Amino acid sequence: MIAEVTPAAIALVGLLVALFLHDFVTLARNRRLLLLQALVFALGATLIVYPEIARRLAHFVGIGRGVDFVLYPLVIWLVRESLLSRRRRHEEQEKVTELVRALAASGAHEISPAGARPHTR
Amino acid sequence: MPRVRIAVLMPAFNEDGRLARTLDELRACAAQATLTVFLVDDGSVPTIDEVAIGVAAQGLRVVMARHAVNLGQGAALETARRLALEPRWAPAEGPFEAFVTMDSDGQHRASDVLALASAVAGGADVALGDRFAGGSEVPTSRRVLLAFARVFERATTGLRLSDVHNGLRAFGPRAMTQMRIRQNRMAHATEISRRISRASAARAKDDALRVVEVPVSVRYTDESLAKGQRASGAIAILVDLFQGFLFGGEPR
Repeated sequence: MIAEVTPAAIALVGLLVALFLHDFVTLARNRRLLLLQALVFALGATLIVYPEIARRLAHFVGIGRGVDFVLYPLVIWLVRESLLSRRRRHEEQEKVTELVRALAASGAHEISPAGARPHTR
Repeated sequence: MPRVRIAVLMPAFNEDGRLARTLDELRACAAQATLTVFLVDDGSVPTIDEVAIGVAAQGLRVVMARHAVNLGQGAALETARRLALEPRWAPAEGPFEAFVTMDSDGQHRASDVLALASAVAGGADVALGDRFAGGSEVPTSRRVLLAFARVFERATTGLRLSDVHNGLRAFGPRAMTQMRIRQNRMAHATEISRRISRASAARAKDDALRVVEVPVSVRYTDESLAKGQRASGAIAILVDLFQGFLFGGEPR
């Protein structure tokens, strides 16, 4: 199997390395996630440099092109990630709402004609 | 005839002088009912001037709460609803008999608040304002938008109404406890319709809410139209409803 070191392959592998370095700094405490990330990135780099592997795997499972073999699961993963992140945002929003509401309720008071705070029940 | 005890739920966001005018108009009706306004400042910048409110509300009981950040009209209404249901804020004469939601920008009339509350005091569980029967001069663009909204609400909630997304509504105590709002922004109107639809279609006849529509007159001014809903807002509502459907923001 021959390595195909094209400018595109160099750029993509460079991007993977940069992403990994970024995660290495930001996820330093989460070793397991970092290890999983490293494995996925190494697999990705291998498929980039040796596209023949993806081609053979694609033919084996009945997908026409090697690039589709990588692309299909990637799209599914992206959609899943997008939905998960939207759900998380929704949940966070609900928490913020309840927090703001609790603060508002604790500070609720009657407005006196003069605008002062006569009492908070 | 005893005076009806009414809780007015009023969200406000950057309303400036319009809010003071709305309170002033309500104050003029204070002789005909026992009114308590639950005013929720939804993160206005600058915050609502309590001195000005106090002056405008002379003789009118106003309970005020403030959201530290802007959450949206639905969230502010829900805050007001929860406050109004707390026994500590009930008037000395007894618990509230009617809960009326009202905009703070002056497009709703205080006299209509009394009409809706009277319908509830007269036996209805929910009284919804019908701006088309009340002779409002609804701009054409708004009529078209509301026609689509009416079809959408009918299809998604099953509620057949002459007017939808009208912020002027009244609820009896039994209905008010069932109207929890989870949609923070403008999609809360559809959420309320859905809750009303479900509660009015309850199998046991005694449990089913009785819903009536009452003619009201909505004032359209350049200010209220500039701040009101537009076609782009309708898209945002659809997105919010879909997210609510996906992630549990809808009534269960």
